[in-house]
Amino acid sequence: MIAVEDLRKVFYQAATGQAVVAIGHLSLAIAPREMVAIVGQTGCGKSTLFDLLIGLEAPTEGRIVIDGKTPYGDFDAFRGKIATVFQQDRLMPWRSALDNVKLPLELLGVPETEQTERSLGWLKRLGLERFATAYPRELSGGMRQRVAIARAFVVQPTILLADEAFGHLDEVTAGELRDTFVTLARECGSTAILITHQLEEAIAVGDRIVVFGRSAALLADIRVAAWPPSEHASLREAIQATLQANRPDPRLARA
Amino acid sequence: MSLEERREPLLAGKLPREALVSLAVFAAGWEALAQAAPYLGIPPFAVPSFLKIAQSLATVTWLDVVVTLARVIVALIFSFVIGIAVATCMYFSDSVERHIRPMVRLLMAVPVVSWILFAVLWFRGVEFRIVFVLVVVCAPVFIVDTVDAMRDVPRDLRQMMRSFRPTTWQFFRKLMLPAIMPGIFTSWKITLSLAIRVVTIAELVGAVTGIGHKLSVAQELFSVAEVFAWTLVLVALLFLLESLLVRVEARVLRWRG
Repeated sequence: MIAVEDLRKVFYQAATGQAVVAIGHLSLAIAPREMVAIVGQTGCGKSTLFDLLIGLEAPTEGRIVIDGKTPYGDFDAFRGKIATVFQQDRLMPWRSALDNVKLPLELLGVPETEQTERSLGWLKRLGLERFATAYPRELSGGMRQRVAIARAFVVQPTILLADEAFGHLDEVTAGELRDTFVTLARECGSTAILITHQLEEAIAVGDRIVVFGRSAALLADIRVAAWPPSEHASLREAIQATLQANRPDPRLARA
Repeated sequence: MSLEERREPLLAGKLPREALVSLAVFAAGWEALAQAAPYLGIPPFAVPSFLKIAQSLATVTWLDVVVTLARVIVALIFSFVIGIAVATCMYFSDSVERHIRPMVRLLMAVPVVSWILFAVLWFRGVEFRIVFVLVVVCAPVFIVDTVDAMRDVPRDLRQMMRSFRPTTWQFFRKLMLPAIMPGIFTSWKITLSLAIRVVTIAELVGAVTGIGHKLSVAQELFSVAEVFAWTLVLVALLFLLESLLVRVEARVLRWRG
């Protein structure tokens, strides 16, 4: 269970000391195994929430509680439990695809043979077994992102976070990877939070869609199941209208 | 940052034809001058022929070459270890960086000759003096280059690594060390050529072995042929070491393609 309780994050500009409210009093609850897509316009605080969820930033006020612990305060308690897929693959260029996937297992102190076995298994599931020894520069953008996905899944995390993970890829590759990601996340039983600015992606992936306004103001919290596929176009339009007006669109009331 | 411009070792690849031509022209000019010296009023010892230089080369004592080489390598290893340790402290603590960086800059501005004089005045042991001078000249290069390389490690990679919650040692060993490796190789190339040049000056004072000492003896004997021969040995030694370093670099950094 992820509980975001009255969360507030303020940054101060180094030059002027001026306060910038990235997140203003956000509360949100995410159930185990739920797949939540967070959408919002650029600069709405999505990525700040991502950093706070990982535990790389401390909240200014409020807190995030995951299974009774806070990701920032109890940082080490989440070793091997939270995994991330970033917008860019963020592979280490000096490591082969296999060694990149092995990284989280090395950090957890998993025995070498098990590291290799598990990492190769995940590369195979992502169709990259033939490229295990290739360096990132020898792989295409889509292949690199697959390696990054394998690196996230190899620890079989309780919580998966993806920040615009497919947005930079072409439509076909992004669609394939998105489907793979969803399938694997469901198989692993992970709670998944996907941050995206693409509404089609949010609708295709999420059990829930959380719509952020400025400073991560919660504009809408939509259960996708309440919208049959035939009405997804209307849902998309309603979310679009919400984002543009920075207030909830009346059509979203049923959610 | 570096004390001098980055340059590729001459023997890193094949010598270009232009380089061979210019070397041949220089050699031909030198030999012609050596042959014509008596007719031009130049003392014969001042411009020795290649035959005399070759005779001097044949008398080169390899023990002195090995001694100089050992001094350089020992001093560079010390400098490297100090450089990495100090740079790591500077990277992890802004306060340490603010205190140390001006001192490092100050050390880098002190002329080599001053360090040699300080070494002579402060220390008794010849070997310690030489290593001290080399370390005090080379370690700051390692420190500044390493801390700059650490600061240049992409934020994206640091954030990715931290998201997996490594220990400080894992963060350093799995991310920082491999990421700064290209910078470390560049520092080694710079300090290698710096050390080879500085060691000869340091050996001029007090040492009874080493290439610097041999150069000093040759100068006292007015033997330009010997100075030329030892200089050739020194240059060849530098090129050889650089060439070895480039090979190791190509192997370690093969991921760069």
